[in-house]
Amino acid sequence: MEFLQQYGFLIATMLQQGLLGLSLYAPLMAGQLSLASPGFYAVGGYIAAILLTNPAFAGWRDSLGYGIYPLTWLLAALACALLGLLVGVPALRLRGIYLALATIAFVEILRVLSLNLEITGGAVGIFAIPQPFGFVDRWQYLWLFLPLLILTLLFFRQLSKSRTGRAFRAIREDELAADAMGVSPTRYKVLAFVIGAVLAGIVGSMSAPFLNTWNAKQGTFDASIAYLAFVLIGGSRSMWGPLVGGALLSALPEVLRGLADWRLVINGLVLVVASLYLPQGIVGSLSRKPKPPTRPKPPTLNEGPSGPPYTSETT
Amino acid sequence: MELSGFLQNVLNGLAIGSVYAIFALGYTLVFSILGIINFAHGAVFTLGAYFTYTLISGQFSDNGLLKGLNLFPNGSPLSGSAWGFALSALIGSLLAGVVAVIIERLAFRPMRTRSADPLLALVSSLGVALVIVNLIQILVGAESYSFPDGIYGNLPPALLFHLGDKTIIIRTVQVIIFAVSMVLLLVLGWVIGRTRTGKALRAVAENPGTASLLGISVDRFVIITFFLSGLLGGLAGTLVGSSFGIAGPYFGVTFGLKGLAVIVLGGLGSIPGAVVGGLVIGLAEAFVPSQYSAYKEAVAFALLFIILLVRPQGLLGQAQIQKV
Repeated sequence: MEFLQQYGFLIATMLQQGLLGLSLYAPLMAGQLSLASPGFYAVGGYIAAILLTNPAFAGWRDSLGYGIYPLTWLLAALACALLGLLVGVPALRLRGIYLALATIAFVEILRVLSLNLEITGGAVGIFAIPQPFGFVDRWQYLWLFLPLLILTLLFFRQLSKSRTGRAFRAIREDELAADAMGVSPTRYKVLAFVIGAVLAGIVGSMSAPFLNTWNAKQGTFDASIAYLAFVLIGGSRSMWGPLVGGALLSALPEVLRGLADWRLVINGLVLVVASLYLPQGIVGSLSRKPKPPTRPKPPTLNEGPSGPPYTSETT
Repeated sequence: MELSGFLQNVLNGLAIGSVYAIFALGYTLVFSILGIINFAHGAVFTLGAYFTYTLISGQFSDNGLLKGLNLFPNGSPLSGSAWGFALSALIGSLLAGVVAVIIERLAFRPMRTRSADPLLALVSSLGVALVIVNLIQILVGAESYSFPDGIYGNLPPALLFHLGDKTIIIRTVQVIIFAVSMVLLLVLGWVIGRTRTGKALRAVAENPGTASLLGISVDRFVIITFFLSGLLGGLAGTLVGSSFGIAGPYFGVTFGLKGLAVIVLGGLGSIPGAVVGGLVIGLAEAFVPSQYSAYKEAVAFALLFIILLVRPQGLLGQAQIQKV
């Protein structure tokens, strides 16, 4: 118990960040680099924060009791699925770096909106969000994040074994070949994108009470980059990679707390060194599987704008 | 809209748009050679502004390791005159160029020699940006700094001209920014279009493998590209800083994202595209009505989103056919 008092918050944070890493991993399963997760995370959090604090919903809260919390998760999941479809269908026509940039634009537009709308509390945001199920300590959020994580991992495991998961892998390895074999790339790419959006939305709706306050800082470009780093440092070819990356990188500033001012500098150096020496990610380097086949590349440089995977699409 | 208001907006938009253009050129040069976006470009922008600030005898405040430091106290040749400022801006930008070369050495070259996944180079350049931004914070603190008054010498504070009964005001700073940017763009266009170095650069951009077979040292031209890119980024930082002040170590982060919008809007890797994209976004922002000015920050990203959906190759980019 004392252990949980001391480290429970850190562990809960590590799980939460690992889940967000997984939300970016979902579109990557189908080979799509999307940085939209913080946007959906922010939307999910705002939905929960507004439902839990806005006077307009006081009647619902009174009649539902603790039932309001599962309702916020459900609504966040639905809203993010819808938003994911809305953004995903047009955006997934883009490839590689273009998709990444479009999703950055999506996150930034959401950020500016939440910074200026009245319902999101403007720059101050929403604070004093009530705790679910009589939680008094932050570590008790382990009872939310741990089951969600286990469910997510089980889901991803089943998914990767299913026909859909094989379609994702086919698109990831070679989209044109997959298309030629009758796998509809658009359909599966949008599906993978929406799965990531829903996961990020649910994590957001649980995180708003967890952090007790919600504001425009939750969904920023910095967060996009942090999650991308989780996936790449952890390893992007297995579902354990983003989880390990998220847990380790979110624990790093805590571990370095003694170094105070220098911890973010060290965090940056870790990113540089890890991308140099662990190109397969931590999990990828540990596993004994043979390296995935890589496309032949020119000796020193990539092919410039036309080379994979930065390929713009015009068909 | 009345003509005078329209003209005012156009002039304001051109001034800020021209800075977007030179900043974005730094991105686009690197992208056209390496096919990679250098996410540390925003940090170089911030560094350029701080270098110039230091040289112009700016004093640091009470936070950070450099507290109270004044490297060039008043009376040094670099302070107090317009020429001093111009010289400081030049040296500051050159230093930013040197930093960009160091970034290439640390974050990009090791990736190239291993022919690693380009995404890893992206993360690695982000790591470098994180290091730079936080080092600045440790050294000079998180506060904003203003360039001293009078750095533009004895020029009148503003240009005024009358149109009917309305007055159009153009700040001298804006004129200088616009003029400097345009001269720079013309020089750069000449270097790339007409000189031997420019030809070699274009050859490397087209196909590095073939270029190296033809006796062009690819590494050398990558270094030149990064130096030019850092120089442009640093100068953009100095120009924006001299107009609005340096808004702390995170000064370049938003600007860096906007620069991405600019290059995608114009066409990734296209040099005229970066200029057109910069001016378009500058103008679009200037025309946001004042009651919606809070949403100004979103204009560039909304344009980026739209252009990606309508014309993914950008305004001036060339369509590329997916290779099988």
